[in-house]
Amino acid sequence: MNWLIRHAMCAMMPGGGTLPGLTAEEAHAYAQRVRAESDWLYSLGLCLGAVMFAITPIITLLIPLPSFLLPARLLDRHAERVVGHRSYLIKQAVFLVRLNAGMCWGASAHNRSALAQPAYPDDPGTYRTD
Amino acid sequence: MPSRNHIAFQERGENVELDVDYVVVGSGAGGAAAAVTLARGGSSVLIAEAGPWRDPEDYPSSVYGTMRDMMDSWGATFTRGRAFWPIVQARLVGGTTVINSAICVRTPGDIFEQWKLEHGIGGDEMAREIWEIQEAIESDLHASVVPEESRGRHNILAKKGGDGLGIDSHYMTRYVRDCEGRGQCLQGCRAGRKQSTNLNLIPEVLERGGHVLSCAPVEKIVFEGARAVGVSGRFSHPQNHARGGSFRVRARRGVVIAASVTRSPNLLAASGVESKALGEKFRAHPGAPIFGSYEDPVDMSRGATQGWASMAYRTEPGLKLETLSLPLDMVAGRLPGAGALLMERLEEFRHLAIFVQATRAETAGRVRPGALGRTNVRYTLDTKDMHRFREGMYRVAQVHIEAGARSVLPCITGLPYRLGPDEIHLINEGPLDPRAYVAILSHLFGGCVMGADPARSVCDGNGRVHGRTGLYVADGSVIPTNLGVNPQSTIMGLAVFFAQRMLDDETSANAA
Repeated sequence: MNWLIRHAMCAMMPGGGTLPGLTAEEAHAYAQRVRAESDWLYSLGLCLGAVMFAITPIITLLIPLPSFLLPARLLDRHAERVVGHRSYLIKQAVFLVRLNAGMCWGASAHNRSALAQPAYPDDPGTYRTD
Repeated sequence: MPSRNHIAFQERGENVELDVDYVVVGSGAGGAAAAVTLARGGSSVLIAEAGPWRDPEDYPSSVYGTMRDMMDSWGATFTRGRAFWPIVQARLVGGTTVINSAICVRTPGDIFEQWKLEHGIGGDEMAREIWEIQEAIESDLHASVVPEESRGRHNILAKKGGDGLGIDSHYMTRYVRDCEGRGQCLQGCRAGRKQSTNLNLIPEVLERGGHVLSCAPVEKIVFEGARAVGVSGRFSHPQNHARGGSFRVRARRGVVIAASVTRSPNLLAASGVESKALGEKFRAHPGAPIFGSYEDPVDMSRGATQGWASMAYRTEPGLKLETLSLPLDMVAGRLPGAGALLMERLEEFRHLAIFVQATRAETAGRVRPGALGRTNVRYTLDTKDMHRFREGMYRVAQVHIEAGARSVLPCITGLPYRLGPDEIHLINEGPLDPRAYVAILSHLFGGCVMGADPARSVCDGNGRVHGRTGLYVADGSVIPTNLGVNPQSTIMGLAVFFAQRMLDDETSANAA
C-alpha cells in the first residue's frame, strides 16, 4: 500500500517546474512513517484516498487505466481534475492524500529553502515521563 | 503506588489509586483554571489528562508533528453532516491552550443578558464577577497587545485594510509574554512565550501539592447513589496507544469534568448521567480563510500567528474577522489544485497573506458517542448561517483589497481560483452549499449546557450537574449560546466562578 500512497502523493506535487517536486524517496519514507505512527482512522483514510486516486482516471479522463499506468501528462491532468471533482465524496477522499503530500513537501528543508523558509528542527516526539 | 506528583503512562499491572478532595478531568482552559482555584483554596486536587505532558522543548515544528503529538485523534475529528469539517482540538496537558493563539477577549455583556433571558442564569451579578475574574487571569497570564516588533506584515496589512474600510479593528490582546513573533502558535510556542496552562496554572497546582495524571483518559465517573465520588480509567501510551495500567481516583468533595465540548458530554453519558439536553446545543464558529496575493513579499510566518481582529460585524450579521498565518507545509496541502498547477501556485507563497472569518452560527448540532471511543458530531449549517458564512468570506476579501492585495484566492468551489479587486462581489454571489468551502471548527460551545431548567440543560448556573451531587462541568460545553468571540477567557472565567462556588459550598457545609 505504501507504494500507492507514494505514487498518489508524488502526482499531487510533481517536479519539473520552478519549484522542486516531491521525490519518491521522501514520499515513500513519509508513507511508511505515517502508517506506522498515525491513528488507525487517519491511516485508513489515507489508504482509501490513495486507492480512490488510483481508480478514478475512468471518471476524470474516461480512460480505463489505473493512475499508475498513466503517462506523466495524463497523470497530471488526472490529479488536477480529481481534487476538484464535483463529487464531494471523491474530492474528500483524495483530500487527505493532497494534504499529506503538502505536509511532506512543505516540511522538507530543500523545498522550504526554495521559498526562503527556514528549515524545521526535528520534531522531538518527546514528553514528560515523570 | 507511585508517590510523585506527576504520573505519566504506567504499564499494565502498575495500577494507580489516589484519594484527593477534587479530581478535575481535563487540563485545558477550563480544567486548569478550576484546578488552580481549588488548589489556591486549600483543597487537594488531581488533574487527569488524556494526553501526555509536553514542554516547549518537546513541541514539534512541522504540521505533521503537530498532528501526531498534539491533536486529538490526529486531527481526524470532523463534523458529519452535509460537509465534513474538521474540529480543531488538542490532546495534551494544557489542552487546546497549547495550540491556539491565546486570544484574550472578555465575555461580552450582551451574552450575560442572553443567558438570563433564554436560560435563566447569568445577569448583571454574574457578569461583574466573571469580568473581575477575567481581569485577574489577564494579570496572571500576562495578557498584552501584540507588540509592534512582533506584528509581522500580514497583521499590519490587515489593520491597514480594516482602517481603510472604516471598520473598527485592532491588534489583538493575547495571553503571551513578550511575543517573539515566530509565527508558531499553532504548533505550540517553542519559545515558551504563549501562556498555555501547562506552563503556569498546572505547575502551580503541583506546587500546591496537587497531582497530575497524564496519558490518563478517564473512562467512567464513579458514583455512590447520586453522588460522584471519583473517576476511573486506564493509561494510554502517547505513541503506540497501548493500554497500560488502570487508575482510580477517589474524590472526597467533587468531580469536575472539563474534557472539552466533544468529550465531556460523552463521558457523562458513558457514566450513566441521563439528560435530554446531554450532547445537545453544540455550536461553533465555523471559519474559512481567504488568501490575498500582494505585490511585495508578506512572509506571513514572520510575526504573530494571529495578531489582528475586527469585531465590527459580531452583532450583525454575526462574524469575526482575524488574521492567521499558516506554515508552508499546511498551505501546500490547502491551496486548491494539484499537480503542476499546484506547484506553480505555490511559487507565490511568500506573497500570500491569510485573513479568516469566523461565523457566529446559530445552528445547533449534537455530540454523541461514536464507534471505538470516538466522538460523533452532527452539524450542518442552515441557510441563514450559510448566508452569514458567505458574507464573512466577502468581508475578508474586502479587507485584503483595501490592504492593497492585487488579487484574492477565495478557495471556494465554483468560483475562479483568483479574483481581482473588481471581481470580489462574486464571493457574495457564491454557493450556499457548505461542501463548497473548506472550513474548520475551532471555537466550540455546548453539549452540557447550563440553565435553570433541568429539562433543557445539563448543569445549573454554577456548573453543578442537575440531579447529581458532587459533579460539575467546567469547560466550553456549559456555554449555552454562541459567544461570537474567542472563548478561552469565558471558559476560564466560568471555570474559576464555578470553582469558587464549590469552595463557598464547602465553607458553608463546614460552618453548618
